[in-house]
Parts: sequence; C-alpha cells; structure tokens
Amino acid sequence: MAKVLLIEDDGETAGEITAELADRGFEVAWSADGLDGLAKARDLRPDAMIVDRLLPGMDGLTVIESLRKDQVRTPVLVLSALGAVDDRVRGLRMGGDDYLTKPFAIVELVARIEALLRRPPETRETNLRVGQLELDLIERTAKRGERRIDLLPREFRLLEYMMRRSDQLLTRAMLLEEVWNYKFVPATNLVDVHMGRVRHKVDGPGDAPMIQNVRGAGFILRAVP
Amino acid sequence: MQFIRSKTFHWTTVLAGLFAIFVTVLFGFIYFRIDNYLIARSDRMITTQIGFFAGLPRERLIGALNDHLGQDSRGVQFSGVFDAKGNRLAGNVAALPDGLDIGAPARSMPLVRLDDKEAGATSVRTVARRLENGDILVVGRNVDETAEVFRVVGAALAIGLLPAFCLWLLAGAWLSARAHRRVEEVNLRVQRIIAGDLRERLPHKNVDEPFSRLAAIVNRMLDELETMINALAGVGNDIAHDLRTPLTRARLTLERGRTNATTLEQLQEVVDKAIAGIDQSLSIVTALLRLAEIENSRRSSAFGDVALGDMLREVCDMYEPIAEDKQIALSVNIADKFSVRGDRDLLLEAVANLVDNAIKFTPRSGRVELALLRGEGETILRVTDTGPGISAHEHDAVLRRFYRSDKIRNTPGIGLGLNLVSAIVKLHGFRLIIHAGPGGRVEIVCPDEEGGRT
Repeated sequence: MAKVLLIEDDGETAGEITAELADRGFEVAWSADGLDGLAKARDLRPDAMIVDRLLPGMDGLTVIESLRKDQVRTPVLVLSALGAVDDRVRGLRMGGDDYLTKPFAIVELVARIEALLRRPPETRETNLRVGQLELDLIERTAKRGERRIDLLPREFRLLEYMMRRSDQLLTRAMLLEEVWNYKFVPATNLVDVHMGRVRHKVDGPGDAPMIQNVRGAGFILRAVP
Repeated sequence: MQFIRSKTFHWTTVLAGLFAIFVTVLFGFIYFRIDNYLIARSDRMITTQIGFFAGLPRERLIGALNDHLGQDSRGVQFSGVFDAKGNRLAGNVAALPDGLDIGAPARSMPLVRLDDKEAGATSVRTVARRLENGDILVVGRNVDETAEVFRVVGAALAIGLLPAFCLWLLAGAWLSARAHRRVEEVNLRVQRIIAGDLRERLPHKNVDEPFSRLAAIVNRMLDELETMINALAGVGNDIAHDLRTPLTRARLTLERGRTNATTLEQLQEVVDKAIAGIDQSLSIVTALLRLAEIENSRRSSAFGDVALGDMLREVCDMYEPIAEDKQIALSVNIADKFSVRGDRDLLLEAVANLVDNAIKFTPRSGRVELALLRGEGETILRVTDTGPGISAHEHDAVLRRFYRSDKIRNTPGIGLGLNLVSAIVKLHGFRLIIHAGPGGRVEIVCPDEEGGRT
C-alpha cells in the first residue's frame, strides 16, 4: 500500500483529499504546516507527497528544496492557487515532480499521484506491447494483432505515451502537458479530437475497445482479451 | 524670493560670476598691453631727445631746453642740467633723484617739478647723460596717457560688465521662477490626479525641450494607467455577471433535481450537469488568475530563443484534426527560420489561442493560414482566416475582458482569449495588431532585439 504525505493547511480540503485517497487504497498522513510536514517527510519516508505551496511555518517549495538537499527523492505534487509561470515551478517539473493549480478536480489529483508513483522505468526497449497492441519505436509502426495501423507522427506519439502508462487514468491536462508540451488548457477540446482519431484507428470495427473514456476525467488504455 | 534658493538661480549666478572674472581679466590684459606700448614709445622719444640735447653746444643747450619746456602745455616734460655735485643749473627738475643711473636706458624715477613742489615726487620715465664738461643732463616724461587709458578701459568695463551681470542675474531669476511655476502647475494637476481625476494631463507644448518631453512621457503613462484602471473597473461587474450565469444554472439544476429525481441515475445526471456549471465558473476564475499572473510577471530569466517556425508547425499539427472536422484548410507558410527571445510556453499559448479563435469563428469550408514573415527590423507572425473578422468599432472592445461580440454570442468560450494573447505579447515587448475585417487578420509583431538579432 502506497504511503502518501499530504501537507495542506486547509483542514476541509485536506479532509476531502484524504478521504478520496483512502478510498483508492492509499495510506495517507496529514500535516497542516511546513515545519511539521518537513519533519514527517523525514520520519515517515512516504512514497509520494502532496504539498500546498502556501503554508504556515515554511512555504511548500522551501520544504521540497530542503528535502532535496538531504537527497530525499520522493516525488512531489505541488498544489497552489498561483499559476505555474515562475521559474521555481519550472525547476520542479524538470526534476520530475508535478504541479497542480487550484481549483482542481479530485480525479485530476488522484491521476497525477498515481502517475508520480508509477513512473515508467527508463527502458531501452524498442518494442512496446499492451495486449494485442504492439508499437515498434524504431520502425515507427503499430500493429493490433495482425492488423497494421497507419498512424500520423502525432498519433504515434500519443499512443506511445499511453502505452507506457497503460491501465492508468490519463487526464486531458496530463496529455496536453506530456504529449504536446502545452502548459495550458486550450479552449477547444483538442485532446478529445486527437484521441478520437487514434481510437478510431486502434479500435477497429468488431474489436473490443482498448481506449476507454472515463467520463469527466480522461482516458485509459487497457489490454483486452 | 523663492527663486534665490533654486538650483537654476545658483547656477546662473555662478556662470555670471565666471563670466565677469573672464571679462575683467580680458580688459586687464588689454590695458597692460596698451600701457606697455605707450611707455615704450615715450622711452624712445626721451632717448632721442637726450641724444639731441647732448649734441648741442653749451650756450644753445639752455635755450633749447627752455624752448622744449615752454612748448609743453600739458606739463609732462621734465628736463634739467646739473653740475657734477648735483646743483641745478637749468630746467624744471628740482633735484637729482637718488639712485640715478647715468647713461642707462630709460626707467621710472621719482622726480619733483620745480614749479609744482607741493605735488611731491612723480614717477617719471627718465634718462640721464653726462655732458662733455661733466654736467649731468636729465630728460624725463610723465606718461600720463596710461592713466587716461586706465580710465577709459575702466569706464568701458563698468558700462559693459555691470549691466550684463545684472541682466544675467535677472535671467537666472526668471528661469528659475519659470521652472518653479511649471513645477507648481504640474503639482497642482498631479494633486488632482491623486484625488481621482484620471482624465487630467500635464501641460506640455509640442517643442523639443526637456520639460515638455517629460510632460509628454508622463502623459503617455497616464493614458495607459487610465485605460487600465477603467478596464479594471469594468471587470468587477463583468466577472460577477459571467460567474453568476453558470452558477445560477447549476443551482436551478440541483434544486429541480432534488425535487424531481426519483432514481440514482437521474440524480447522477443532475449532479453531472451541476458540476459542469461549476466547472465553467471555475474555468473563468482560473483564466482570470492566469491573466493576472502573466500581467504581473516580468521578463523572466527563463526567456530563451524560440524557433517560431517550429512552434507554428506544432500548433498547426495540434489543430489540424479540428480544422479537418470543420473542413477548414489550415496551412502554414514560413518564409524562413526566425527565432525570437521569449518564453516558449507562453508564446505557444498565445499562438494557439489565435488559431483556436480563427478556427472557431471561420465557417465551414473556410481557410485559416498561419504565416511567419519578415518586416522592417521585425518578425511578423500572422494568423488570417476567412471568418467574419473584427470590425473597426470592435477593435478596442475585443481586448476588453469578457467581451464577446454579438455575432458570436452563441459560440462557446469565456471571452478572455485575446486578453491573454495581449498580456503575453505585452510581456515580451511585442505588439498585437488586429486588422479590421472582413476576414480575420491578427499579427504578433516581434521587433528585433538591440544588437541586431533576427
């Protein structure tokens, strides 16, 4: 069971997040201020942390920076009412951590925590396989069973990302950030349109659907029998 | 009398003083040159005279001396003959002066006139010769022209310099009083602005003068501030209105659902609708916060070289499927590789917003074109479409928060897109140009950086 440390000063928000994570089978520890949170992070050795940016005692980013100085590499999801234009946040993202702007949907938070916990290992594999679906990264070709799938480069990129994170909920914002390098959510439902194209190609007529739309949340790629 | 303490007046006084010193020195120099010239001339004269007298035979010498003195109406000539012991034999010099150097060139000696003993010794240019019989001949000349010259030069100095100096002081006083008056005037207007009258401007004339230019600069700043403050004032109402609409809808849905829903499915449907309404309100808040954040940030150290061509292709790649669905031809036209200094993520967002708008407002089977071209010392990023465009009278309005043209009331969106683009463009020091319709044409103009980067 994955241990998550939540450092958030607003009790009600913390309560909701704790309840949701507990429902999903996480073990959650909660701390309401920066200094206490830092101490708990050192003691409990959590698998992932959720840190609010504005905290009494010590601000969230400083907490993370002091942990990093001690070589604690726990992945962190930073929550903030402030946007992500500034440099320290860019630093975070480069370091493999994540950032979520308030207000957010709870599914978004859970999806991101799971993504942080299940970061795909750095493999040298040139062949990705999920169920019948196969992707050759050198030849840039895709196959479902014996059927060849013709993909545009952008569709290939999207499918590759999803295959590396199969069985995980991928939200629209995550896909935008990771696949298209968009740090904002555009007005038009871009992701759905792209996903629609890819799904149309992957799940042919008569195939069991591999790409599932989770209503109001995002998409999951699953192996089907 | 306040001007006496002003810096302008101090400087004028110092300058006037320096000028006076310079003029005085100049006049002094002229005086001394003339003085020297007169003395040299008079010295030559008495040397010639003494040579002439010394050459005369004894009996004619006395007569010639007396004639010579008799013709001197101004009383400047001195001459006399003394025996070896120094007793006066003839002439108008009372006694041999002490330290007389016989046979030496002319120099100034104190001589006393026989006919004017009370006046005492006058300093006179004098030469002396010993005659053949041992007597001493003295000839002198009082160079009184030098005093005359001194008087004339002094008078010229007084007539010229004093009024000039006074004029200078007056000018200083006037200039500083004028500066003071203008500062007072500016202060008065600024006080009015502080009191809340944002339409007030500083007085300025269209002349190339530091004060006027400063006033013009401040006025430009005030224009910008006024627009911003007016925009802000309007925003409060707009936000309230735009938030209330989806929230009211959500509330109605929930209320009706609570009364009417009988099954779990019906209730879930109601809740989903309510969440959608709340999400829309939240997206407005998020967009506003983001806008504020961009507007308040400064050029950051994260600015790097952004290859605009690649960026345009990325945006095009992103929007191609959507354009296809609407049967809109989306094309990219890149003249050459251009890069600018900026924040890639923000610039991408700006361009994506423009393309998003263009595709949204272009009817089916239309055209949207992205172009990157070079202007005079600037790189231009242009988005054109075959949509309705933005008419001239909507020009300023589209940059207002929440503005949505009547023509597009039923198109989804929250009306902050162009604000965001405008804020991003401003942050980079670029310009956003919206051309009047028909047909949409929006340009982001990126001037080259100092140092000739392209």
